[in-house]
Amino acid sequence: MFNKVLIANRGEIAVRILRACRELGLETVAVYSDADRKALHVRYADEAYLLGPAPSRDSYLRGDKIIEIAKKSGASAIHPGYGFLAERADFAQAVIDEGIAFIGPKPSSIAAMGDKGVARATVTAAGVPVVPGTEAEGALSDEDLLKIAPEIGFPLLIKATAGGGGKGMREVNYLEEMPELLASARREAESAFGDGNVYLEKLVEGARHIEFQILADTHGNVIHLGERECSLQRRHQKLLEESPSPFVDEELRQKMGEVAVRAAQSVEYVNAGTIEFLVDSEKNFYFLEMNTRLQVEHPITEAVTGVDIVKEQIRIARGRTLSHKQGEIQMNGWAIECRVNAEDPYSNFMPSTGYISHVLLPTGPGVRVDTGVYPGFEISPYYDSLISKLIVFGETRAEVILRMRRALEEYKIVGVRTNIPFHQSMMDSHRFMAGQFDTQFVEKRFSMEKTRKGQEAHPHIAAILATLVAHQHTQRSAHVIQRNERDTSNWKWMGRWERIHR
Amino acid sequence: MKYITTIGEREFVIEVIDEENIVVDGVACKVNFESVSGEPLYSMLIDGQSHEAYVYEDDDGWEVLLQGSLYPATVVDEREHRLRSAFGSGPVQGGEFYLKAPMPGLVVAIPVEDGQEVEEGDVLIILESMKMQNELKSPRAGTIARIRVGIGDNVERRQTILSVV
Repeated sequence: MFNKVLIANRGEIAVRILRACRELGLETVAVYSDADRKALHVRYADEAYLLGPAPSRDSYLRGDKIIEIAKKSGASAIHPGYGFLAERADFAQAVIDEGIAFIGPKPSSIAAMGDKGVARATVTAAGVPVVPGTEAEGALSDEDLLKIAPEIGFPLLIKATAGGGGKGMREVNYLEEMPELLASARREAESAFGDGNVYLEKLVEGARHIEFQILADTHGNVIHLGERECSLQRRHQKLLEESPSPFVDEELRQKMGEVAVRAAQSVEYVNAGTIEFLVDSEKNFYFLEMNTRLQVEHPITEAVTGVDIVKEQIRIARGRTLSHKQGEIQMNGWAIECRVNAEDPYSNFMPSTGYISHVLLPTGPGVRVDTGVYPGFEISPYYDSLISKLIVFGETRAEVILRMRRALEEYKIVGVRTNIPFHQSMMDSHRFMAGQFDTQFVEKRFSMEKTRKGQEAHPHIAAILATLVAHQHTQRSAHVIQRNERDTSNWKWMGRWERIHR
Repeated sequence: MKYITTIGEREFVIEVIDEENIVVDGVACKVNFESVSGEPLYSMLIDGQSHEAYVYEDDDGWEVLLQGSLYPATVVDEREHRLRSAFGSGPVQGGEFYLKAPMPGLVVAIPVEDGQEVEEGDVLIILESMKMQNELKSPRAGTIARIRVGIGDNVERRQTILSVV
């Protein structure tokens, strides 16, 4: 039994885990990089220790230092969050070897599911269907992959063996473009994971990405908390998730849930995990991969099931049985999560860095925001672009869409560009409202311009606003020229002077 | 002061009389205009209607982000408008294009070299930022000149990377 937890992560997820620990009366230890001294997770924790310079490899990926800090501070458990060291079997093993509890699965399960070839072979043996591909064949050369590709058939996907989150992933439509795509996939995989190995997988067309949340304790109980619809992605990065899925009926849910539980059992899984499936338009489903960690989008499942997944993780790591049996899990109402990223949807989702000068959070009925930033915090180029997760829940999908529109309009972030307008366009999209979308929707059939058509637009209001701001700027410049008459403070004057000279 | 403001195809003639009175295409309106929570977020009450928007200044005008829609706008005063229509307008085509880093990042690859001919849309550089690789493309055809960075370099926002002439 432990009573002090080190959180080996940063950003919103570190804050999320800290909150669970605080509610359970556990002491908390944060770790941080030079770029994160003022981060929220450092401010919220009972103790905080510096890991090193800003780049991840010198800070949040330094497993050795994290274990050293755990020992020094007397933390008897480590929660890895997601990303960074969360799915590194060697780290989990090193933690356990030091007599520290790892709040997550066994190293052997991480290893089995982490190598996608092994994962596919393991679940296939347990009778779980998989997508055709070069699964358990290990690292193949470009030459071999080019030879096998026509057998799998186009379109197909190149995926990083060590991958996740769409890094090192490429879609190939014909053989001729494959060599170049192989090279760029390997390069990206090498830089993201230090492992340039890739494999091929058939691209299921019109597919939906639907995943099941699993909870498993050390007493052999394995349950699922229903599905999450994660089809809305861009470059294989999820942007918006909902639970339940508008595509899944009770019969399919039961069927997929049972298969998900079986897949988890095939690697003797313990703690929280997620089984990802591809589902085609005929409702055939295929195992894609298992994420052996807490998922970014876990809050929507919490909203519809009422289960606090992070607290369950800690409970499981303490050797207790799950709080619920499968029969007690019910999905009530609907929940949608929008990932708010520091990316400009009007210039091809280019990352936007900078100093956050102001934030106005949406609140009110059915709204939850998980975030790690606040006014005064700087969004640096070192880590991913997730600013916050806006989770909205209510009785029906229609109510939740309208509520999300309301919440997105309330949410104001000044200092960096965000993808909030993308989410607003999505909430206005007729196809989204009708639940008719697949994993290709955002990239191939969605445009920021088209969705608003037919809606009432306000070009004249925009024109007036632009004119008033331009007028104000002109007045200020004129004011500065007559500086011997200036009536404002020097600070104000300096600000204006800088503005016109920049 | 009278302004001609263009949004897309539409032109608006907006006269700012004083802090509270404007005339939009000949119609007088009462306005109350405030910067809220710091620029560039603004609140405007116009004849009792409340609107809130981000108004960003960019290289060739303004961008208004209002209720999830982006409106690029140009604002010129009457005198300038007369001059522009007399001498023709529009940005001059040709000349040198300076590729600037849109965000701080790490140079991962430079698929072009000095003196190389490129087409519009060709990838000039790959920058990694926030764990994503971003391809920066050429806005027009031309010849690569003066590559100022190397692979592995960290670049600052707005730093000039290379030129297309």
